[in-house]
Amino acid sequence: MGESRFTRRTFLKTAGVAAAAVATPTIFVPTARAKSDTLKIGQWTHFVPAFDEWFDKKYCPEWGQKNGVKVVVDHISVNDLRARAAAEVSAKKGHDLFGFLDPPPAYENVVVPMNEVVSECEKKYGKLVNLAQRATYNPKTKKYFAVSDNWVPDPLHYRKDVWGEIGMKPDTWEHIREGSKKIKDKNGMPAGFGISQELDTNMMVRALLWSFGAQEQDESSTKVMINSKATVEAIRLMTAIYKESETAEVFTWDPSSNNRFFVSGKGHIIQNAISAIRTLEKQNPELAKKAGLALPAAGPGGKRMASEHLLHCYVVWQFGENPEMAKKFIVDLIGSYNDAFLASEFYNFPSFSKSVSDLKGKLAADKVNPEEYAILGDFEKYSAYPGYPGYTTAAIDECFNTFVLPDMFARVAKGEMSAEDSAKQADADMKRIFAKWNK
Amino acid sequence: MREAPLSGASSRSRSKRPLLDRESFLGPLMILPAVLYVAALVGFPFVLSIYLALSDAKIASNTYGFVGLDNVRGALESPTFRKSLGNTFIFTLVSQALVLVLGKILATCLTKRFWGKSIFRFLILLPWVAPISLGTIGWKWMLDSLYSPVNWVLQATHLVGKNTWPMWFGEKDLAMAAVIAVHVWRLLPFATVIILAGLTSIPKEVDEAAEVDGAGFWSREFYIVLPLLRPILTVAGLFGIIFAFTDMTVIYVLTRGGPAQATQVLSSLAFFTGILGGDLAGGAAISLFLFPVLVVVAIVMLMVARRTEVA
Repeated sequence: MGESRFTRRTFLKTAGVAAAAVATPTIFVPTARAKSDTLKIGQWTHFVPAFDEWFDKKYCPEWGQKNGVKVVVDHISVNDLRARAAAEVSAKKGHDLFGFLDPPPAYENVVVPMNEVVSECEKKYGKLVNLAQRATYNPKTKKYFAVSDNWVPDPLHYRKDVWGEIGMKPDTWEHIREGSKKIKDKNGMPAGFGISQELDTNMMVRALLWSFGAQEQDESSTKVMINSKATVEAIRLMTAIYKESETAEVFTWDPSSNNRFFVSGKGHIIQNAISAIRTLEKQNPELAKKAGLALPAAGPGGKRMASEHLLHCYVVWQFGENPEMAKKFIVDLIGSYNDAFLASEFYNFPSFSKSVSDLKGKLAADKVNPEEYAILGDFEKYSAYPGYPGYTTAAIDECFNTFVLPDMFARVAKGEMSAEDSAKQADADMKRIFAKWNK
Repeated sequence: MREAPLSGASSRSRSKRPLLDRESFLGPLMILPAVLYVAALVGFPFVLSIYLALSDAKIASNTYGFVGLDNVRGALESPTFRKSLGNTFIFTLVSQALVLVLGKILATCLTKRFWGKSIFRFLILLPWVAPISLGTIGWKWMLDSLYSPVNWVLQATHLVGKNTWPMWFGEKDLAMAAVIAVHVWRLLPFATVIILAGLTSIPKEVDEAAEVDGAGFWSREFYIVLPLLRPILTVAGLFGIIFAFTDMTVIYVLTRGGPAQATQVLSSLAFFTGILGGDLAGGAAISLFLFPVLVVVAIVMLMVARRTEVA
């Protein structure tokens, strides 16, 4: 009887054959890059769940059916969008359409120029609003690196009852300071302007700076302008608001924290997209009746400015499998903005001026709080974008995503630096970043 | 005379032996996958990061211009970088000191017999087996500024005043303490298991003899147990230093480096600069500052391992 043994030699031979069998198809089978019958979209998880419901379950399936493709939507959390985009670019593989929440000029080299799409949309749906144009266009290369379908207003949310008790309205930044202090002294309620490394703070501090007459850069987008008297004044005011009327939690916030803060009833004022008041309407209708929206606060010279809270824009990667279909999707989506605007409960404002008909009428017809939403009708004229009054460049993008301006405010509020020194440090940080990108 | 042909036959038979039976061939063959693995997953990224750090690479650039040490100089000029460097050392050294002390205490407890020991051991190991991001998100909620159950318990037990609500991620020192505490929570099981293995390898007779000679608990700990545990404690500490030095998940999830960069460390700063900010070269240059420290740690680890082997 022969002895059957599983020897080392047998093991190695078997393992070698198995490995070769597994590897051969991947080595020798050529990878065909055929046009896919699937359109893959990567975008954020919307703060208004009803929009995702409409987009995922109604708009995309219907559009896919009409165009003979399957539309797959992957939702990515706000904080992970940039990392995901970087991973897709690095792997040269990913979605056909990728939605950013702030303009991505650093990606211009790897995206399909969108000039044709913008022209087509402007012909069909009116002019691209100024803030979306300046944020997605590179005047040097004369290319649109992204197409914005919507932008989001950033009004003040405040408790009308609490402010009414002190006989004030948050009309100017000085009013906000004075009123917040009175409210904190009276009933202990804090104000809620974040000073953290996150999106909402990035927007709020820009609004404050612009209202004071300060700016990050000049109109040609080449010269850093942050170190100014106006910046120092704005920092001082924010520091005063923090010291007199806020708690250290404003340093801990992420993009959803100020929503929770306001919805919980703990705080009396925040600057945020309308998702905060919408959530309140659903979770606490009684408290929602006491909440109001206000125009951006005016600075010392009466200048009233806000940042777009978000500027949603799509890019089409050069390595995408379905670029033409992706472009068509954007054009058609912008053509459906009447529905998108309503589905987002007025969160998504149209980037193409006529893509929503009778916008003011729709706002005034809100079923819950028409008076409050009516103020959003003119919000575009107060709204700007990162890099204002220049363009949103790659250097501005890095300043934005490494939180140079929120840090400038935080250092002073924390008592680590004087307002002058912090503005100087921000200036040095920005100049270092500008030098890298402008080589 | 008779041996020569035998020897010749033996040599012939060795040369005729199949390739897979020869140690000289099989040895390198068996080690090859490990070498390829290290080269592909450690060597290549490392060389790539040096290449990037010396270039002007951006997140989507198609060209790479050589800029020498410009990125390193740029990093050194940045106050945020210098702050992050200091934070990295504080985060690493304090967390490792705590991990070793607490790990020793827990391991000592686990050498004793008591009711519910297996459940206790399971609970201790849980943080190590749970996904780090999941555990850290749990802590983010535990220490939340609005709904922190930790604060609620502190108030309910009168450990803090009725009107005191610690902002764990809002105050500089509290934020650093919080990220260190969560990191310790995560690494403690690993250190405990290593130290427990070391404790069980100490012969009981040594401890018993010392006890008979009148040595108390502390004398035995400091003059017998800790000296015998020294190699294993060194290994646990060095591993922990590498984990702490290179980890960014805890910081990224809990504080994103705030407040005012008070908890920013080199690995998270490299991520913010390179990935979120789009400056790949700058991010790579920042991450390379970790390298010299890690080299020293690796050399010490190898020396300890070698000494233990020789002993």
